Amino acid sequence: MKRDALAQKLKMEAQRAALQLHTRRQFLKEGAMGFGALALGSLLGSCGFDGSSAPNAMLDASNPLAPKPPMFPGKAKSVIYLHMAGAPSQLEMFSYKPELAKLDGQDCPQSLLEGKKFAFIRGVPKMLGPQANFKQHGKSGLWLSDNLPHLATVADEIAMLNAVTTDQFNHAPAQLLMHTGSARLGRPSVGAWVTYGMGSENKNLPGFVVLTSGGNNPDAGKSVWGSGFLPSVYQGVQCRGEGDPVLFIKDPDGMDRDLRKASIDAINKINQEQYEEYKDPEILSRIAQYEMAYKMQISVPEVMNINDEPAYIHEMYGTEPGKTSFANNVLLARKLVEKGVRFVQLFDWGWDTHGNSASGSVDIGLVNKCRNVDKPITALILDLKQRGLLDETLIVWGAEFGRTPMQENREGKDMPFKGRDHHAGAFNMWMAGGGIKGGTTYGETDEIGYDIVNGKTEAFDIQATILNQLGFDHEKFTYESQGRPFRLTDVGGKVINDIIA
Amino acid sequence: MSTLAILLFSLTELAGSFHPLFVHLPIGILLLAALFQLLSQKEKYQSLSSAVDISLFLGMCSAIASCISGYLLSGSGDYDENLVFNHQWSGIALAIISIFAWYLNRKGRQITWITILMVLLIVLTGHLGGSITHGSDYLSRAFSTSKTEQSEEKRKPIPNVQQALAYQDVIKPILISKCYKCHGPNKQKGKLRLDMPDFILKGGKGGKAIIAGNTDESELIKRILLSKDSDDHMPPIEQPQLTKTELDLIHWWVSSGADFDKKVADLVQPEKIKPVLLSLQSEEKLEKELVSDIPEKEVEQADTKVVQELLARGVAVIPVALNSNYLSINFVALDSITDSDLQLLQSLSKQIIWLKIGDTNLDNDKLKSLLKLTSLSRLSIERTAVNDTGIAMLTSLPNLTYLNLVGTTVTVNGLMQLKSLKELRQIFLYQTSISGQEFSQLNKIFPKAVIDTGGYKLKFLESDTVELKSARVKL
Repeated sequence: MKRDALAQKLKMEAQRAALQLHTRRQFLKEGAMGFGALALGSLLGSCGFDGSSAPNAMLDASNPLAPKPPMFPGKAKSVIYLHMAGAPSQLEMFSYKPELAKLDGQDCPQSLLEGKKFAFIRGVPKMLGPQANFKQHGKSGLWLSDNLPHLATVADEIAMLNAVTTDQFNHAPAQLLMHTGSARLGRPSVGAWVTYGMGSENKNLPGFVVLTSGGNNPDAGKSVWGSGFLPSVYQGVQCRGEGDPVLFIKDPDGMDRDLRKASIDAINKINQEQYEEYKDPEILSRIAQYEMAYKMQISVPEVMNINDEPAYIHEMYGTEPGKTSFANNVLLARKLVEKGVRFVQLFDWGWDTHGNSASGSVDIGLVNKCRNVDKPITALILDLKQRGLLDETLIVWGAEFGRTPMQENREGKDMPFKGRDHHAGAFNMWMAGGGIKGGTTYGETDEIGYDIVNGKTEAFDIQATILNQLGFDHEKFTYESQGRPFRLTDVGGKVINDIIA
Repeated sequence: MSTLAILLFSLTELAGSFHPLFVHLPIGILLLAALFQLLSQKEKYQSLSSAVDISLFLGMCSAIASCISGYLLSGSGDYDENLVFNHQWSGIALAIISIFAWYLNRKGRQITWITILMVLLIVLTGHLGGSITHGSDYLSRAFSTSKTEQSEEKRKPIPNVQQALAYQDVIKPILISKCYKCHGPNKQKGKLRLDMPDFILKGGKGGKAIIAGNTDESELIKRILLSKDSDDHMPPIEQPQLTKTELDLIHWWVSSGADFDKKVADLVQPEKIKPVLLSLQSEEKLEKELVSDIPEKEVEQADTKVVQELLARGVAVIPVALNSNYLSINFVALDSITDSDLQLLQSLSKQIIWLKIGDTNLDNDKLKSLLKLTSLSRLSIERTAVNDTGIAMLTSLPNLTYLNLVGTTVTVNGLMQLKSLKELRQIFLYQTSISGQEFSQLNKIFPKAVIDTGGYKLKFLESDTVELKSARVKL
């Protein structure tokens, strides 16, 4: 009875709010539009505008997260995207450049500086040789530095992209470009696109989960996992390794789960009526989100709990339950994918090695960062493999850009530690699993890793490849907004066929 | 060159490029004129005679325009001279005949044999023009089987690549499939011809196509390496592109001296090219067999009522692709499977090809009712109570390619029962009691399958947990 009364009260409130919206002007507008719309409707009806070919027909408004088929049978069912925010130095990890060692300490030739802009380098910097030893690994002979001893053991699972490039040399726009296809705000992230296209296999969990580590969120903020113009139900849900996995998801004191359910049902009923009236898809998103949040109260703490994992798994990943760490997030990513989550996005902060401190140097800080991620990433590949999930899980490792072969000289002065400036021209990323051909490389850079020689790979190409592996043609996968269809890859992008199995 | 001259030059080039468009006008209009003329001799169609004059006039004008634009186009030198000569003169003859026909018609005289001659000339000129643009065999291609095989681009393996002739057996087939269309006997775009050693060495408008041993200066190499965004990229983006292997081979052949007679074994072979050469000995892998594990045979659409019921239960029922009726089913959101679920699954027995039903209360009894799903190719029953007895029943699923038995009590004896499943390619046995010794036994039973018993461990490295405080000693 109490609950019915509550529902009744909320409904009244909503009706009053709706009435307030009905101003005189709106009445007149609706009246005038009403007649016009009638005429237009009958006109359009005869032109085949019957709604069957309406834009965004893929959107099932009543259940936006329902599982949906891809355009063609894709190899991958889910994606784990590991983003090292701050941009690691490819020259100390993947890009073997013995010629650069010979140039160590010499002035950078003018020809490399002409017409180029750097974030911090001014005047003439000195070249900085690789601060790590390199060796070839696996049957494929992949070059990896001694900063990644574990990854070296799975070299043959990896497809290395040697010549990735971007046109942004500041963190936030470069991260946005990598994840949303635009250096400016407002576009949906790749995870949001994928969730829009495929929905969630598990009705109790969101389709797109974000986990961050390293002490900070990425510079571009939450927009790198935002939904842009897609309904907001497709944005990434950020979960935490410590405390409540999702903020504000617990019932407040004095509210039990039944009462919560009743109030959500009441709110949804009202929202549904609002939707009948305004047909705004955001209202449906809101309904879906309330329902999802209610289910997540149970399902998320369950899946986000790594305590029950056996000891040898903790040892393999290097995880410590109860903390926020990259290793914990990687293990969580595996658990989430296993539970049917489509897209898991990991951001690890702290790779911005300018040389202004020990932790921000390529010979100390970077080594420690590598030690943090090397083991869990390798464990992830092997763990997915033994569970029979590697073939259907695409792993993408990358960053927003790379680092210069020159030593940074902020404002023309020497830095206290060895560091490198932001470099948009050429850097490395890699993919594994999900129908990617392991033991391959694509692209080449020059002898010092400054420019691309062949196999140029842009953010659009990586996005096109991700979509392709999931079964989507990036040129046909669109969403209508502002009167025109939008693509993740805008007008660019080509699938990197050379690395596909 | 003055700006005016450049402008004039580009204008003529522009006019020339309209030739392939113009030519269709005289064909259509003159044929119509001829038809009108012949028909109007019958009483029933006499009214058509008044249309003959105007259609002959328009046809004549367009024939002249085609001649002029065609002449301008032939100046580009991209085409075989012999073919152009015949096409040019038959075109001019056609224009003259059409003027003649129009003039006679004006004078009130209609001579049937002139009309017939005009039609024949249209057919001849059109055919010759077609041969220039589409290749001289464009008509016969549809009938000859040997030619179609060639165009399918499936390269035949070379038995012993080191004994093969570098140009004749390795390079020429690439040029034939990717270059001859525009730089061959019929067309020489950019004045470049690649079908004979002499022509290759001569080069084209842009300079020497290849300079033996100097890939950086070889125009051909430069063009094929250019990014696809560049206008000078070859082959043009709308044409079939060179594969990475083909690129590597051409690059290697030019850098090794671009010899036309030697065997592969006699040429310098850097480490990089060896695996590429070796790959020529095996059949090119067709992508299809790797990508798709979906049956080619179509299947009727699943009963929507059944699908809705399963969805309402929280089971993910997803067509494997937008235009496919085959289904992928996942019980990931549920931890139990009921008898009614099993019944629903049975009524989708033709459509279900992928089934994930792990971490549920599935047991041998329940598995029995799933044996009707004979289309199944991927089955995940990890961490369920299914044991050897249940596994043995899986022999009635002949299309199984993927079998996930992680965390079950399966033993080698159970797996032995599956010997008859010839399609099995992947078997996952992590967290089972199967040991390393038995593993090799299994490899013998399932030679084609990848068997993964998991249990991977990472080496213990002290550095994993130590934080570096200062840079390591100089490397």
